[in-house]
Amino acid sequence: MAASLTGLLKPWTPRVLLVRWSRYNPYYLEPGPRKEVYHIPETELTPEQKEERELKSVRPIKAATNSVTSSVFNDPVLSKFVNMMMKDGDKIIAKGIITQTLENMKRKQVEKYHKAPEGKKAEIECNPYAIFHQALENCKPVIGLTSIQKGGKFYQVPIPLTDNRRRFLAMKWMITECRDNKHRRTLMYEKLSQELLAAFSKEGNVVKRKHELHKMAESNRAYAHYRWW
Amino acid sequence: MQMQRLLLSTYFLFSPERRTANMAASGGRTVGSFLWKCGNCCFNFNTVSSNLTRQVLSRQLCVSAVLHRKNLAAAGPEKFSEEFIKKQVEEFNIGKRHLANMMGEDPETFTQGDINRSIAYLFPSGLFDKKAKPLMKHPDEDTFTKALAVEKHQDRLRGKDLFTQDAKQISLVGSRWLLKEELEELLVETISEHDYARFIQLMERLLSLPYCSVEEDFVQRYRRQLEIQSSKQQVQPLQYDQHGVAYSTGDGRRKTATGTVLLRDSGSGSISINGTNYVHYFPVLQDREQLMFPLHFMGVLGRFDMQCSVSGGGHSSQAGALRLAISRAMLSFLSEGQVETMRQAGLLTPDPRIKERKKPGQEGARRKFTWKKR
Repeated sequence: MAASLTGLLKPWTPRVLLVRWSRYNPYYLEPGPRKEVYHIPETELTPEQKEERELKSVRPIKAATNSVTSSVFNDPVLSKFVNMMMKDGDKIIAKGIITQTLENMKRKQVEKYHKAPEGKKAEIECNPYAIFHQALENCKPVIGLTSIQKGGKFYQVPIPLTDNRRRFLAMKWMITECRDNKHRRTLMYEKLSQELLAAFSKEGNVVKRKHELHKMAESNRAYAHYRWW
Repeated sequence: MQMQRLLLSTYFLFSPERRTANMAASGGRTVGSFLWKCGNCCFNFNTVSSNLTRQVLSRQLCVSAVLHRKNLAAAGPEKFSEEFIKKQVEEFNIGKRHLANMMGEDPETFTQGDINRSIAYLFPSGLFDKKAKPLMKHPDEDTFTKALAVEKHQDRLRGKDLFTQDAKQISLVGSRWLLKEELEELLVETISEHDYARFIQLMERLLSLPYCSVEEDFVQRYRRQLEIQSSKQQVQPLQYDQHGVAYSTGDGRRKTATGTVLLRDSGSGSISINGTNYVHYFPVLQDREQLMFPLHFMGVLGRFDMQCSVSGGGHSSQAGALRLAISRAMLSFLSEGQVETMRQAGLLTPDPRIKERKKPGQEGARRKFTWKKR
């Protein structure tokens, strides 16, 4: 009994090396770094949460990654965005750009706030994190296209997208847009803040790209039955 | 429906003589004559009477000979309609009478038990499975008996208030099935792997049935509790230096970096790494956040004084090594429940991820050499 269970707790290499494997045994569970979860008293837990806690108390847990903290400023979506923007593993520069972008957005919004008349002041959103999240939401496509081969020809077939895929597409479009369609002299953070503010008010090139994808999917509705999953 | 009820009520209002006279006449004409007499009916008698007359007419029409010759194959397999069941019941009754005649008994008082005995006598079968032996039963009985019996049982339970759908489930969270060796020990005999797999499969199937909590004791006999992981943490006792200040040490590793930490409960919150201030040593925010992570998580940010030494690796892995060292050093100051929350936050596991080795025939760990067609 002891022999087979201690084998599960060591750093591990799978017997058949798949493309995506990790040094953790599949027996390990994901960590939960947020503080509030652990301060809920026993009485207020739902049965599922209780079961989850019991399971966690018996299973080993993976280590938290470098980019994760229990601080309130730690945002998983923002971390993903930083990683996507990173080139050649240089996270310092990517994180710097994002911080400058957020600061720039805040400055622009505060300027607008001070210039606005009394009635309109409440509508202006000044929190850069909220603007970032809302802009990303506005860029997420609802339906995607994929290439399916049927009878020798390739057709663009509309398919439903998972949440992760939608988020990824929104972030990817945002980054490529800011890298390609800008003037040589504008800095990245400047262009990114402009694009995020435009997406927040549902204008701008990224939102346009999302609408074009939706239109293409709508026009290719006839091929929807080519999808077999 | 309401119109039909109205119709019936008006019908019975009339005197018995009228009723009998009307009953003698055919259906369609009766309705029509009624409605002329009562007259107050608001519904459209035309549709009703026309339906009835259409039915009467279709019965009286003669059907041509062509329609009798049906293409039996084209109709498909025989469906379970009313006529089919009636035909089967008739055939059963005729067959019962024939059987009674054959056995020389009275066809009128031939019961099901008699039928069974006669069949067993006339068709002796060497088969073991009772369901495979020849049988002759009334068509209505056989299909519904089991379902009816189950329903009756459930109704009886409902009457006694014992029938509850929300049965409690056996809690399986903190336990595991017996291993093959343990099972062999329990049964005092050797088992093959197939037998063990079958055993696990049957136990799982038992657990999937409703009301399995009735057999909880039986199931728990074959399960063992898993150890609680937090009990495996080695917590060093607190040490006190000459001024009475509590301190503890911890060390941690990440990739190739190793770090040690001396945590003192002095209450200033200053951190020095390799002799220099942590702000100068770690100019990147992410690394400083990693140092703060265990302290912020437990809410003791300004309490401890840290002297760290770290070597090897890059800035990120050094920060990770120090984070593990700090978490381990903090364990001596915390209670059991807090140790468990730290573990669940992922602070106490050493990160096993290392640089993946380069493989022969490839340029790096994953990158292949440039593919040349020829």
